[in-house]
Amino acid sequence: MPSPPSITSSPGRREETFADPKALMAIRNLELRARVVVEGFWNGLHRSPYHGFSVEFTEYRQYSPGDDTRYLDWRLYARSDRYYLKKFEDETNLRCHLLLDQSRSMSYGSAGYSKADYARTLAATLAWFLNSQGDAAGLITFDERVRDYLPARHRHGHLRQLMLALEQPNGGKETALAEPFRRAAELIRKRGLIVLISDLLAPVDALESELGRLAAAGHEIILFQILDPNEIAFEFHQATLFQDAETEREVYLDPEALRPEYLRRLNEHNQQIENACRKLGVAFHRLVTTQPLETALLDFLRRRNSRSKRVWRQNQFAPSP
Amino acid sequence: MNFLVPWFLLGAAAIAGPVLFHLIRRAARERIPFSSIMFLRPTPPKMTRRRKLEHFWLLLLRCLCLLLLAFAFARPFFASKTPPPVATTSDHQTILLVDTSASMKRAGVWENAVSLAENYFANAAPGDQIALMTFDRQPRAVVNFSEWSSWPVNERAALARERLAAISPGWMGTRLGLALTSAAEQLLAESDNGKTPGRREIVFISDMQEGAKLDGLQGYEWPRGVRVKLEPVKSKRATNAGLEIPNAAAISDGAPRIRVASARDSQTEKFRVNWISENRNVGDSMEIYVPPGQVRTFTAPKIPASLTQAQLQLSGDSETFDNIAWFARPEASRVTIAYLGSEPADDPSGLRFYLQRVFPDTPGRQVRLVSPTNTSDFSGLLKKSAFAVIPKNLSAEEIAAVRDWLAQGKSALIVLTSAAMSQTLGRLAGLPDIQLTEADGNYALLGNIDFTHPLFAPFADPRFSDFTAIHFWKHRRWEIPAAANAKVLAKFDDDSPALAELKIGKGRLLALASGWNPADSQLAVSSKFPPLMQTVLDWSGATSTARFQFSTGDSIPSPALAGNGSVEWRANGKTETLPAGAAFTKTETPGIYVATFGGSEQRFAVNLPLDESRVAPFSPDDLARLGVPLQSAPELSAAQIRERETRLQNADLENRQKLWRWLIAAALAITFGEILLSGRISRRAEKIEVAA
Repeated sequence: MPSPPSITSSPGRREETFADPKALMAIRNLELRARVVVEGFWNGLHRSPYHGFSVEFTEYRQYSPGDDTRYLDWRLYARSDRYYLKKFEDETNLRCHLLLDQSRSMSYGSAGYSKADYARTLAATLAWFLNSQGDAAGLITFDERVRDYLPARHRHGHLRQLMLALEQPNGGKETALAEPFRRAAELIRKRGLIVLISDLLAPVDALESELGRLAAAGHEIILFQILDPNEIAFEFHQATLFQDAETEREVYLDPEALRPEYLRRLNEHNQQIENACRKLGVAFHRLVTTQPLETALLDFLRRRNSRSKRVWRQNQFAPSP
Repeated sequence: MNFLVPWFLLGAAAIAGPVLFHLIRRAARERIPFSSIMFLRPTPPKMTRRRKLEHFWLLLLRCLCLLLLAFAFARPFFASKTPPPVATTSDHQTILLVDTSASMKRAGVWENAVSLAENYFANAAPGDQIALMTFDRQPRAVVNFSEWSSWPVNERAALARERLAAISPGWMGTRLGLALTSAAEQLLAESDNGKTPGRREIVFISDMQEGAKLDGLQGYEWPRGVRVKLEPVKSKRATNAGLEIPNAAAISDGAPRIRVASARDSQTEKFRVNWISENRNVGDSMEIYVPPGQVRTFTAPKIPASLTQAQLQLSGDSETFDNIAWFARPEASRVTIAYLGSEPADDPSGLRFYLQRVFPDTPGRQVRLVSPTNTSDFSGLLKKSAFAVIPKNLSAEEIAAVRDWLAQGKSALIVLTSAAMSQTLGRLAGLPDIQLTEADGNYALLGNIDFTHPLFAPFADPRFSDFTAIHFWKHRRWEIPAAANAKVLAKFDDDSPALAELKIGKGRLLALASGWNPADSQLAVSSKFPPLMQTVLDWSGATSTARFQFSTGDSIPSPALAGNGSVEWRANGKTETLPAGAAFTKTETPGIYVATFGGSEQRFAVNLPLDESRVAPFSPDDLARLGVPLQSAPELSAAQIRERETRLQNADLENRQKLWRWLIAAALAITFGEILLSGRISRRAEKIEVAA
């Protein structure tokens, strides 16, 4: 079993070697982009949250009546005349679904590329990474409803299909989280990892309830919020017409006067999201499009690492079935 | 600073445009797409100080550019400190130029002209000077400035009226150009005398008929300060037509050609012409159609053969002053040519046969070839003859007679038909050494011709100058002695003289070294022969191209046949005797002028010029185009005159300063700056858009 990468090393030092997102976005091929990002994380490893009796032995446990006799170690019984059950670490592949927001608000970008580009690359990177790990990656793209659905698989050509689906242009309109999440919950029957990539510029109430439903279904959820630097800083100076990317509504705004209020409301919104995530045990990462994608991968891995340990520990002290 | 055309400053209001467009453009262009405006609430549009300032410079440049253009078009100038000399109204010089041409005889026209002139006399200020000039073909001074000044102030108007009353329109044509320039010269002469008048003006009182001749005005440099004021007088009647007989000699079958002109404002185009003699209609009348403003040519009705003079009358128009054309039947001039040979007239191998056919009879001329029948007749014949042709040897007496005759200024042609004529030629020319020899060879051609001589000048055009087709089978070679007063007009190709002119006293002798009879040459059958012989006859002075039709004011040349005596001229009941050769100039009225000399008489018709019938007024613009400084008809008040002079002076100042050039240059520079600035702003805006 390959050793996990050193994910605990200082992120600051590592970021220096990361690819600049602007340079990265200049690469037209999405797959290539993903490969570039994943470089250096090739040896990453996940532990499955599922433990069963498969390949890797973990421990012996004394047989108690009611245990499945299939798992009795007969050789040990022959040697010691005692009944022991062999326990193995279940190394089944991870089932990960990437939920990618393709609403029009994602098409905004001030860094020379849009949030959608960034999100797409992130999704591709994760897919590549998972695929290279032997995990099954699926994709659900959505705007106000689910657009594309690729079930989580690990087979030849699936990654290519996934990349093609990711390369589809943004066709949607507004961000509405409730309906796509409800639909995703229906589509993803098996428990697994759900990675939600969106700017989350939508009412928080619906998000909370739908996330709660997914979490309740036993899915592990990681949420990446993608924001543009301009959305965070709101560095506009001239009073002029602002056009909403989703509704195309035009309003005359004086940004200088509105900035404090905007920042306050944005922070409130973000805070609400973070609170909801904390409440639901959802891992939340905010990514600004100027941030290197590797940091996102790093966050992802760190989260996965801690999670797998947590699962490991939970399994260790869990009452035997 | 003053402005020549200040209303152009209104153009400065155009700066409202850039301001407006500026705002509209900004509102329309700057739209920033944003991911979501869910955290934003609309703010009412509010111009921040920063934004105003940002556009202020561009706007300022644009407005400045427009303002400069408006200023430039308004033609600014700095007023000079010396005020313009204000003319005083007390020392005006005015020449009243009154038309007395025949067209002023129309009903009511002259009366109007007189009353207009009298107004000027009456309204003259004591310091004003008025001169009165009349004009038709020639300008005439009636009252001059010094006369006017010498008269007592209160009698001036009356005295001038008196002078004017003695004048009436004559029968002459109108030479307006000459009259105007003469008047201007007179004004100029007055100012050259050291007087500096306040205003110099020519008041032109005329019917301004379009037939007036404006020649002389083209290119005339008008003296500065002289203005021409037009005072047109109009006739009450419109339709007018006139006629003339352009060439009475070109009469065919008793019907001369006539030209009829109708005035541009004529209301009818149908007229009638008929002959009148002694106040009676004679012959047929004829109806003619001439559209208004046109001149047409017709063949008049036949004039009865018995009449030597008559009047052709035109009727159908409302003005009668130009309805009579006088006609004098031209008398054919009889020319006798002494043919000093003896051959019969019908012998085609001789010279005479061809010569007499060269001069057919025309209405204006009859040429007779007469040969002397005996020696006693010889001198008498020469005396009657205008020209002589000598085709053979003459006796000593005959030669002496011809020499005497030639010495009086006559001309003759000696045709050297044989080498034996050396003696005759030598004696006639006074050159006894002349020897003629018969030339050898097949034939000769004319080699060198002096086309500058009057004899050959009509053939000088390259189309007619080819004499090489004429073969001279025989010719006589001779050499002109150096002492001889002779000129070779044509040479054969062997360089011997073909035609030479020898001076004998006042007379001239032409010597032709070959004949035109078929044995000698092809000259007689050449198309060059008739015109050459006509030219010889004309050159000798035997014929005169007499005119019989004249216009009023023309001088009639003395009849050619009057000799050395005197000529008595009779016309309109007046008689005047002039020496022969002196032209008769007093052709003041139309009519028949009879010249009587030595028992014979000749009639000349004097008529009104046809141009005088074109009575429709011409446009003052025609004068303005010729550079005549016109003054508009309504009298300007002193204030208006001052204002106009100030305006002229301002225009002059502005023209010298030319400040508009600098303003245009500045506007261009500002435009350049505006382009740079707006380019920079738009680049910056693009950057912001990209960033957004």
